[in-house]
Order: sequence, then C-alpha cells, then structure tokens
Amino acid sequence: MEILKDLIYNTGKPLSQFYQWLHKLWAGFNFPPLVLDIIIQFIVAFVIFIFIALNALWIIYYERKFSAKLQIRKGPNRVGPIGLLQTVADTIKLLIKEDINPVKADKIVFFIAPGIVFLATFLSFLVIPFGNGLIVADLSIGVLYLIAVSGLAVIGILAGGWASNNKYSLIGGLRSAAQIVGYEIPNMIIILTVVMLAGSMKMSEIINAQSGYKWFVFYQPVAFLLFLIASNAEINRAPFDLPEAESELVSGFITEYSAMKFAFFFLAEYTNLFIVSAIATTLFLGGWQGPVLPPFIWFIIKTYAVVTFLMWIRWTFPRIRVDHLMEFSWKYLLPIALINLIITAFIIKITG
Amino acid sequence: MINYIKNIITGFISLCEGLWVTLKHFFRPSFTLQYPEQRPKLPLRFRGRLVMPVDKEKNDNRCTACMLCVKACPNHSIAVEKLIGEDGKPKPKASKYYYNLATCMFCNLCVEACSFAAIVMSDEYELAVYEKEKLNLELVSEKYNLTGAKEKWWQSKFKEEPGE
Repeated sequence: MEILKDLIYNTGKPLSQFYQWLHKLWAGFNFPPLVLDIIIQFIVAFVIFIFIALNALWIIYYERKFSAKLQIRKGPNRVGPIGLLQTVADTIKLLIKEDINPVKADKIVFFIAPGIVFLATFLSFLVIPFGNGLIVADLSIGVLYLIAVSGLAVIGILAGGWASNNKYSLIGGLRSAAQIVGYEIPNMIIILTVVMLAGSMKMSEIINAQSGYKWFVFYQPVAFLLFLIASNAEINRAPFDLPEAESELVSGFITEYSAMKFAFFFLAEYTNLFIVSAIATTLFLGGWQGPVLPPFIWFIIKTYAVVTFLMWIRWTFPRIRVDHLMEFSWKYLLPIALINLIITAFIIKITG
Repeated sequence: MINYIKNIITGFISLCEGLWVTLKHFFRPSFTLQYPEQRPKLPLRFRGRLVMPVDKEKNDNRCTACMLCVKACPNHSIAVEKLIGEDGKPKPKASKYYYNLATCMFCNLCVEACSFAAIVMSDEYELAVYEKEKLNLELVSEKYNLTGAKEKWWQSKFKEEPGE
C-alpha cells in the first residue's frame, strides 16, 4: 500500500529504488553498468516517443473539435465514436502516401530537415517534469537547456525551406528564422524573471519555489501573458503563422514535403504546442502541484488548460502582418519584458 | 510615450473583445446540417425541378398544350406535342411534354407563364444522374403526385378562382 501511494504521489523515490535494484541485479551478472544505462535510456526514449505520438494524435483531434465549437460547426464525427479515430485514419493515410522528392531538391538536406525539427522537440522532453520526480533528467541548468534545444528547430526549418528549391519554401524558412530569433529574446528575458524569483534553473527547484499556491502567475501576470505571446510566435502558430501563411506562401517551408516527412513536421508542430504549455505550467502555474489528485493528472490538466487557451487565441485572431511582426517583438514585447525584469529585480533586492 | 501606452491598452482591450466573441460562439449549438441523414426544411416556393402534377379531381394533368411555357423558356428546355384526336384534329391536351433538365436554369418563368397552373417547381433537388440521356424527361407519362403543404399551395392557385 505504501509503495502504491509512493508510486502515485512521489514517483521519483520508487523509480530511483527500482533503478538501484536493477543495477545491483546487473552487477550480479558481472556486466558493465554502462550497458544497462544505455538499455534504460533506449527504453525511456521509446516511452517518450510513444507519448509524443499518442499525445499528438489526441491534440490534433482536440484542436479540430475545439475549433469546430468556436466556429459553430461539429468537427470530425464520422470515424469511430464522436470521430475519435479520425486522426488515426489521417495518420495511416499519411504514412501510406507516396513520398515525393522534388527533382532539383538538395536530397540529403531535404531528408534531414524534418529529423532536425523533430529532434528539437524530442530533446525538450528531457527536462519536462511530468510529476513529482517523474522527469528524465533533472539538470541543474534545465531551463537553459530547454531554450538552447528549442532554438535548434530553426535550423531544421531553414534547411527544409532551402533544400526544397522552391521560392515559397525559402521565404517561409527565412521568415521562420527571423521570427524565432526575434521572439526568443523577449522569451528568454521573461524566463530570466522567473529564474530570478525561483533562484534556480533546476526544474524541480522552480516548482518547489511555487509550493503552497505561491504560483508565479500571481506575482508575474504580465510576464505570463508575454511568455504565452512570445512562445506562441516561436512555435509558428497563428496569429504568428507567417512561415506557413496559406494565403501568401502556399504552405511555407512544408510546401514540398509529403507523406512521412510531412508527418514529422506536423508531429513536431503539435508536440511543440504541448511543450510550450508544459513549460508555461512549470514556470508559472506551479507545475504538478495541486490537492487530492495525483501530480501527473494535475500536470496534464494544467498543461491542457494552457493548450486550450493557445488554441482559443489561434482560432480567434487573424494573422499578423509581416512588417508588424518584428515591430511587435522589438518595440513592444522586449521593452515591457525588460521593464518587468528591472522592477522584479528591484523588488527582490529590497525585500531580500 | 503616452501614445505608446495608449496603443498597448487599446490593443489589449480589443484582443479581449475578440476572445469574448469566440467564447460566446463556443456555447452555441452548431449550425451544421448533417446532410444525408438530416434534410433541410424547404420553403414553400422552393424551385426544384419542373413537374406536371396530377389533379386528383380530374385524375389527369391540367395542361392544355397552349405553348406559353415553351415560348417563355429562355433556354428552350421545354417542347410540347399536342394530342391528335381520332378525327385527325389537334385537341387542347398535351400528349408529350419534353423537359430537358440539362439546360434548365430553374428561373420559374414557365410556371409564371402558365395560365392553368399545370406545371410547378417541385421540392426535388438531388438531380445528378450517371447518363446524359436520363436528363431528358417526359412529364405527361410521369404522373407526378404532389404531397403535403406544397400540394395545398399548388391547389390554391386554381381552386379559389371564381367559376371553378
């Protein structure tokens, strides 16, 4: 009974006990411990991959239903009960489609680009705390690692846009690069504010600093809003979906992609939405903390609340104009974030 | 500087207004009509394809082969053959009423031209067929029966007239 309770409310403890027990067992056979670690890492990576796939399936279905509600439509309701299997059917269709390569495309870069984009999202899962101790690696520079890894995606998008040998793809990729670089700076300053409040870059310590309902969203409401705006721009979602603006660029950097490669871009896009919401939950909404329910459930509830808010924004606002895009970042987001940072620093210094 | 802050505040308020509109939409029932299972409720004067309904009192159609509809049709979709009696003279009655669905544009001019309410636009709107020949219809032998409110509306065209 005690173990079951630990497993639900304090997952880190039994997991590390199990890990040590495995190592002891392994040492009994006289195998090198490195091999066991590699096997465990593969299993963890596989579990994360399964989670990403299932989560993307669900989140796409959820977005389609939610946008249908906002537009007074019904949404998918034919495949399976209330349309639940619609995304499964779409995925199968995507996977069995012909994989088209443009004749003049740069074959190798064209092939690698979706991999890089997916890799960036996949690596971000390393430091997301799903529950009490339910985190793959609790790095001491967790937040910094997250920023560094999410910046990787721009390489993939730019490479994909360039390798397609298509003017729309190239413009989309360049726009994406400008956008991600432009919005990463206010984003980092906002995260710095939170790090200053928590006094650590470690994910578990940021969450511990918010225990007892001292969620940072109550101290930093402006920073929370700015974070949502900036990260929404970073994951290329409407109203900041300029890199794939249908009315101007066909489909931006994914114009030439089809089948499996397109599926990877799509998967990365929707998983990025989840990751951004998970980061917002961790930094501002107290992470997995909450009464009665298990930490994992609380984490999912809070994350999906943020996901819903981002979808609500997406399906309400029209796309921002290209010349307003940079103006918005440099003239509005950055000064407000800086002022917010300075005021927070002063208050922390005064109150000790 | 004042303009800058004003910009931020008005922008924020207008964004909130937009969110409020979609939030209200969220709680409305959907407008979607799931077509093959659910059918739209058609208005009384809906213009589907042309039919020549059977008048149940006469147990025959009301056409007199006056050719007004043929002349009214801007696309020449209608052709009428008069009934030739046993005495070799044409009778005021149509033996064949040819109607070409492919060229009809549902303008209702033939129905308005008809002095005897012999033809009427029906409620049928699923008119796609696989062969082109099936679009050439012959209305006299079809013996179409109107039902419900549409029939009452059609009968009111000729029943309320004095002398009938």
